[in-house]
Amino acid sequence: MSEIVLKVEDLHTSFFTRSGEFRAVDGVSFHVREAETFGLVGESACGKTVTGLSILRLLPEPAGKIVSGKITLDGTNILELSKKEMRAYRGAMISMILQDPMTSLNPVYTVGNQIAEPVRQHQRIQDKNMVEEKVISALRLLRIPAPERRLQDYPFQMSGGMRQRVVGSIAMSCYPRLLIADEPTTALDATIQAQYIALFKDVQKETDVAIIFITHDFGVVANMCHRVGVMYAGKIVETAATSTIFKAPRHPYTNALIHSVPRLDRKDDRLYSIEGQPPSLLNLPPGCRFAPRCPDVMDICNEQQPQEVEISEGHSVSCWKVK
Amino acid sequence: MSDVILEGRDLKKYYPVTKGLLQRTIGWVRAIDGISFTIERGKTLSLVGESGAGKTTAAKAVLLLERLTSGEILFEDRDIYKFSKSQMKAEYRPRVQSVQQNPWSSMNPRMRVRDIIAEPLVVNTKQTKEQIRKRVLELLEQVGLAPNQADYYPHEFSGGQRQRIAVARALALNPSLVVLDEPVSALDVSIRAQIMNLLKDLQNQFNLSYLVIAHNLATVRFMSHSVAIMYLGQIVEYGDAEELFQHPLHPYTRALISASMLTLPEDAEQGVEQIILKGEMPSPLNPPPGCRFHTRCSETQDICSKEVPEMKEYGKQHVRCHHVVYR
Ligand SMILES: Nc1ncnc2c1ncn2[C@@H]1O[C@H](COP(=O)(O)OP(=O)(O)OP(=O)(O)O)[C@@H](O)[C@H]1O
Ligand SMILES: Nc1ncnc2c1ncn2[C@@H]1O[C@H](COP(=O)(O)OP(=O)(O)OP(=O)(O)O)[C@@H](O)[C@H]1O
Ligand SMILES: [Mg+2]
Ligand SMILES: [Mg+2]
Repeated sequence: MSEIVLKVEDLHTSFFTRSGEFRAVDGVSFHVREAETFGLVGESACGKTVTGLSILRLLPEPAGKIVSGKITLDGTNILELSKKEMRAYRGAMISMILQDPMTSLNPVYTVGNQIAEPVRQHQRIQDKNMVEEKVISALRLLRIPAPERRLQDYPFQMSGGMRQRVVGSIAMSCYPRLLIADEPTTALDATIQAQYIALFKDVQKETDVAIIFITHDFGVVANMCHRVGVMYAGKIVETAATSTIFKAPRHPYTNALIHSVPRLDRKDDRLYSIEGQPPSLLNLPPGCRFAPRCPDVMDICNEQQPQEVEISEGHSVSCWKVK
Repeated sequence: MSDVILEGRDLKKYYPVTKGLLQRTIGWVRAIDGISFTIERGKTLSLVGESGAGKTTAAKAVLLLERLTSGEILFEDRDIYKFSKSQMKAEYRPRVQSVQQNPWSSMNPRMRVRDIIAEPLVVNTKQTKEQIRKRVLELLEQVGLAPNQADYYPHEFSGGQRQRIAVARALALNPSLVVLDEPVSALDVSIRAQIMNLLKDLQNQFNLSYLVIAHNLATVRFMSHSVAIMYLGQIVEYGDAEELFQHPLHPYTRALISASMLTLPEDAEQGVEQIILKGEMPSPLNPPPGCRFHTRCSETQDICSKEVPEMKEYGKQHVRCHHVVYR
């Protein structure tokens, strides 16, 4: 098996606000290997983006803080790096495609300039021709047609799909070890999304980059990810290989999610549905976070948090029902 | 008697593209360019297609939010453009209601839920306060909310609950047809199933007709009796939903289904290949000549770039393509 690039252990990240402590990420552990895509899937506000921002140490200050945990990148605990050292790591070693497509490109700079910036900053290349060469090769990596002619274009001159490729080029321009892609395809149309995912698989084959793919779309998970972590209210409740998650999910929440999505390959008359909604992070239940909505709830679920159990190689579940 | 509630015939909507201070018209966006469809009573027709296909424009025409460039809309066999103002107000508008995509922006944050749901009743009927109060409670129950929630404000509800409120409001006047523009796409996965089940239950209970606008094909298969696949302002394939999903005839329909299919890693290893379309969606300002899809079609032939394909019938389906293989 290939090398582990990133290891996250028992990560706790909170927002300290006037109304109290929001435990957005509350004991998350996972790892990603070289040339592997790990999917982080879950519903809105479960903590996916905050997990990604914690790894980059780019939490909104001063409210957001990593309270405890360990994040190791190629053997280095990045939580122990100074701010300056961390800045060098970002871009060169880890990069992130941000969730909000409006913030990832600057409308007043040309595409060429926006890719040149990380190249100059992180690869410390100043020679104009060499920078341009790097920029073009980054555009080419993301299969942007006629890259030489795109350098002078502004983002508004491009389609949504092309813009998202430019964002990918910026993220990949320094050939990072780890790429965190936060919902990169959500705003794209189905056929353009399929193009983008096929493209990212090729990019990964060429560069061996480890990818954390954040999404709430199980279809994207199936097509893109090797392994998946399912998040609920700040915790990963189940981790397994993609096909195991789909074919033999063990956590009642994973099971509910998979069965509540309508299927394209058959006609359903009724969808499986779970009542209620995720708990507020200010007012978390003392036991399992899913207990108030769980169809299989037992007494102990309301009292104590379940520990993570590895039920088979690479398949871990946090649920009292699973031994 | 025909059980068609609404029929659109050759609908066209061209938006002018203007330039300069004098707003000179330099071209036209053909947002919808000759689409025809029928919605049957108690059934669901879905308009599906990617961004810019013209779905919302078609829905707006039905809701009278846009005046068409040309075409006819028949409601229970009567041409709605021949309705007088008072007929429109009494016989069309109250019977055709809508639920918007975004449950956050479609509600006045300063109004109580009770008043949000009651608004169409206050505006359109002469019911007494007591009648309206009773009707609001009945509607809340029908969409699965508790009576005591009538006094809450929108921000006190989750996205799914707000969408229930929007549905209750749309049902207040006992409509026959409800236009649902992306009714679940803004909602979380576990909440979507609740709303989709609710919409189906209400359809059966009140024999409602739905015009659904959606881009998620799996949602469409679950909800629909018939489906129209749109591409650049035109319908390229239209007909019975199950027939369409099981035997798609247009290359674009096949690509769309393939792109939306859940392919597990081992399916891919066993050679289940996704159809990846080349290129991007052309501009509706300047659609390609001949078949509008030919620039991205993997099966394109000489004729495709030269002649516009007519809509032809194949069994229960209608397809606009020069090279349909149908047995
Ligand atoms: N700047 C902030 N201040 C306070 N709370 C925050 C802040 N940013 C995020 N949170 C909270 O942290 C929790 C996790 O948010 P996060 O953005 O990680 O969710 P997510 O899983 O990415 O959701 P989505 O799918 O909607 O993007 C949420 O409850 C959110 O409200
Ligand atoms: N008021 C308008 N003025 C000019 N062009 C318009 C206007 N409204 C829509 N269009 C154009 O008409 C075409 C069809 O738009 P429409 O909103 O119907 O698409 P849609 O299928 O609903 O797309 P989406 O999935 O993005 O909502 C688009 O190219 C759009 O830019
Ligand atoms: Mg997020
Ligand atoms: Mg629309």
